[in-house]
Amino acid sequence: MAATFKRVGRDRVRVRLGLDEVAVLRGLPEQLRAVLTEAEDDPVNRRLFPPAYLEPDDAERDAEYRRLMHDDLVQAKLANLEVVTDTLARGSPTMRRWTVDLSEAEATAWLGVLNDLRLALGVRLEITEDFDGQVDDADPRAPAMHLLSYLGWLEEHLLEALSSG
Amino acid sequence: MRHHWGMSTTAPVRERTEEEEEVVEPDVPWVVIVWNDPVNLMSYVVYVLQKLFGYSREKATKLMLDVHHRGKAVVSSGPREKAEFDVYRLHGAGLWATMQKDR
Repeated sequence: MAATFKRVGRDRVRVRLGLDEVAVLRGLPEQLRAVLTEAEDDPVNRRLFPPAYLEPDDAERDAEYRRLMHDDLVQAKLANLEVVTDTLARGSPTMRRWTVDLSEAEATAWLGVLNDLRLALGVRLEITEDFDGQVDDADPRAPAMHLLSYLGWLEEHLLEALSSG
Repeated sequence: MRHHWGMSTTAPVRERTEEEEEVVEPDVPWVVIVWNDPVNLMSYVVYVLQKLFGYSREKATKLMLDVHHRGKAVVSSGPREKAEFDVYRLHGAGLWATMQKDR
């Protein structure tokens, strides 16, 4: 894990990744995009778009909330995915390291995507206890758990960069 | 669609008829609740609460810890439209948020 996120200006965060990390990140947005656009009943979508109202008395209100807001929420997530895909394509590799500068808005989109990817993985892995990033390699879910852990590590570092300066 | 959720609080003023009085909702405040989640990072929840609500780091951290230790916390309250807007923004950020009447 070689990634670094560094604030290099008021509106600029510099991302440096290993080429292997870029390869991993390139493949993920497409998977989430497919779930968002093709599988409304997918448990991932139930987690990403939960009900606003829980009380049985508010069922109509919840249906109205969903009718009005669901598409907006999906579109915002798709737009974030596009930013990540586009900025990954924009970066330049040098000496096995890969660098791209993100605007504040692009960095915020990255943050949203990292978080959505982790939520989606959490659903797929049926994580119900607080996940501390520790992975048991004997667990058949270990590869995906390592990915979840890695994405959390990236997210922590991006948060630090966004919160600095 | 987003303009539907503008934060403006000015509403058209008109006189109520007696019929309307009967069906009008009681003016109960609504509360917005964030529920504990095994995946969201504690630092991310703090960041979102600061960004969306303008809370201080201290207040956002306290709310996040309430969510973490007690399973949920009320993060905002107000009229239904405002609460729904807050839930919408929290959903956009990937937090598990719901709203209900404050009783």
